[in-house]
Amino acid sequence: MLEIKDLKAEIDGKAILNGINLMINPGEVHAIMGPNGAGKSTLSSVLAGRADYQVTGGTVTFEGKDLLELSPEDRAREGIFLAFQYPVEIPGVSTTNFLKTAVNEKRKYKGLEPMEATAFLKMMREKMELMEMDKSLTSRSLNEGFSGGEKKRNEVFQMAMLEPRMCIMDETDSGLDIDALRLVSNGVNRLRDKERSFLVITHYQRLLDYIVPDFVHVLYKGRIVKSGDASLARELEEKGYDWIKTEVEANA
Amino acid sequence: MTGSKLKLKLTHNYLHVQKSALSNNEAGMFGEVLRQEFEQFRKQEHSESSMNLRETAFAEFQQLGFPTTRMEEWKYTSLKSIQKGAFKTLQPDMEQVKALLHQSMVKSLKANRLVFINGQYYPALSELLEEDASIVLTDIKTARIQCAEVVEQHFAKYAPIHGEAMNALNTALSPDGAFIFIPKGKKPQFPIILNHITDSVLGPALAQPRNLIVVEEEATAFVIETYYSIGANPGFTNVVNEIYAGAGSEVEHYKLQHETGENYHNNFTQVFQEAKTKINQVTLTLDGKLVRNNLHFYMNGSDCNSLLYGLYLTRNEQLVDNHTRVDHASPNCFSDEKYKGILKDHSTAVFNGKIMVHKGAQKTNAYQRNQNILMSDEATVNTKPQLEIFADDVKCTHGATIGQLDEEPLFYMRSRGIPEDVARKLLLNAFAGDIAEKIKIPELVTILEDQIDATI
Repeated sequence: MLEIKDLKAEIDGKAILNGINLMINPGEVHAIMGPNGAGKSTLSSVLAGRADYQVTGGTVTFEGKDLLELSPEDRAREGIFLAFQYPVEIPGVSTTNFLKTAVNEKRKYKGLEPMEATAFLKMMREKMELMEMDKSLTSRSLNEGFSGGEKKRNEVFQMAMLEPRMCIMDETDSGLDIDALRLVSNGVNRLRDKERSFLVITHYQRLLDYIVPDFVHVLYKGRIVKSGDASLARELEEKGYDWIKTEVEANA
Repeated sequence: MTGSKLKLKLTHNYLHVQKSALSNNEAGMFGEVLRQEFEQFRKQEHSESSMNLRETAFAEFQQLGFPTTRMEEWKYTSLKSIQKGAFKTLQPDMEQVKALLHQSMVKSLKANRLVFINGQYYPALSELLEEDASIVLTDIKTARIQCAEVVEQHFAKYAPIHGEAMNALNTALSPDGAFIFIPKGKKPQFPIILNHITDSVLGPALAQPRNLIVVEEEATAFVIETYYSIGANPGFTNVVNEIYAGAGSEVEHYKLQHETGENYHNNFTQVFQEAKTKINQVTLTLDGKLVRNNLHFYMNGSDCNSLLYGLYLTRNEQLVDNHTRVDHASPNCFSDEKYKGILKDHSTAVFNGKIMVHKGAQKTNAYQRNQNILMSDEATVNTKPQLEIFADDVKCTHGATIGQLDEEPLFYMRSRGIPEDVARKLLLNAFAGDIAEKIKIPELVTILEDQIDATI
């Protein structure tokens, strides 16, 4: 579904990604872990198309299409979804209006008619129940005055509404207490199926207790230096990142 | 800034400029046209008292001349190009007027409509729905006969002539305007729309409507003034509005400026509030070459509630100047003012908001904000909030911001599949939203939103 080959990227002339290789098949959940500054958030930003980053080499293919050629909105409409580490507050735009626009823009892109208002509201209601969202949040301005937990749940709610094929979650666990973490993870797990893939980026292993990955990769200095299954995450939690660093330096 | 138990005077930097007499050279061709128009009034005006007022006003205008950028209040707004045009009172092109009336001006809304073309009243094009004959909706000329006492009591009593050249010009040369009288305790069934059209099909047109709105005690009025223009020639609209709000009355007053990019527009609105009045005023400036709005509120009685909201959308070489003044002349009054602008291309906006808290106006609560979004590197905003406080138990805040659309919300929206132009529209509508929500007529909000969409 998503194939990243030798991806290199920089910001303001500083190289951050130094040749990433990653293959994600339909239905797989991959976790990317790594110490601060390893390039985790850069990877998610490059995949979503944030303009601040320059891709200096490599390719990203999404369902046969050259992802790097597409604008951020086209990536989204092709089925990529980025759950933000810091969801943006947009005063004056209600969650309902925002999502109606997003859903219908995606339908337009796919050559479909806009959704009927009643059908859309029914879908909203169903997905809100699925995500255990408070109904009042949707009539309020997008993320405005939301708590950290509400913002992250709103990200997963949007994910449920837009039904992407590939979900990238950028440190979704940051700033969440254990109850909020459980709610967000439950939401994500309900969206897992054979066709939908996830790339879960996190610094800590605790999120992976709830969203159990098929594969875990360790990112260090802009490269994937180690891959394994869910047990690798637990090993990192016990031993920290230093032994990885030592291993990398020794092999260098 | 918030001040209680403070005696302060924040800004006081007027320049006192030597007034210059209007010489032939300075006023040019336009000055000569105005003199000819005035001679016409000498022949036509039957009422001695109104001719006396015209004489006084014209003398004042000649003494003052057009305002110049050497004057502090006109620092950023030059009227030089108006003085070069030979604007005069012209006959309208009725076919084009009718076409305009059909396609614009919130047609679907059920309302009383009074149509004025180049300042003249056209009853045949107007539509009056009120059944209660004590509610008077007509023109000033008719009112001088039918409601002579009310006109005598209120006409030219609130908007100053002395020192205000443009008001003097209107007072001297206005052919007519709307007269609205809502007697004590009455509430019209429908909103009242004043359709002012500047028609420059035959040449550069001068339109000087003069409106008087008298709302007696405990009465309610809902008035929408719209300004449109037709014709390829430039037009010059110079308006004076006087609104008298009797004790305990409520007034909803909107002004929609939608003249074309060839039109110059100056407007002076004086709201005079007796005790316990509630006024909600919204000023929308959507087009025009040069627009200057002067909006003055005077609280003559205590416990008033005054709301002043404005939105301006500017583009090309347009200049929009909003000067507001709120006189807290009585205690225990509340005022809330918010003006917002979206600027494109090489356009310029000026905002000057003055809050004057008079001596003895204790327990004054006054808020004022001006916020601007620049859509281009070449657009300019000059903003100046002013507070002058001569009472010691007041709460006043003011502030101004100038910025661009933030990149982060744009990227957030795009990452959800919303194209950039649609995302910009959503953000601009959100920015304008807290002004739009003060407008109680959905049809008017739609006009506003369409214009915002066209701005992208």
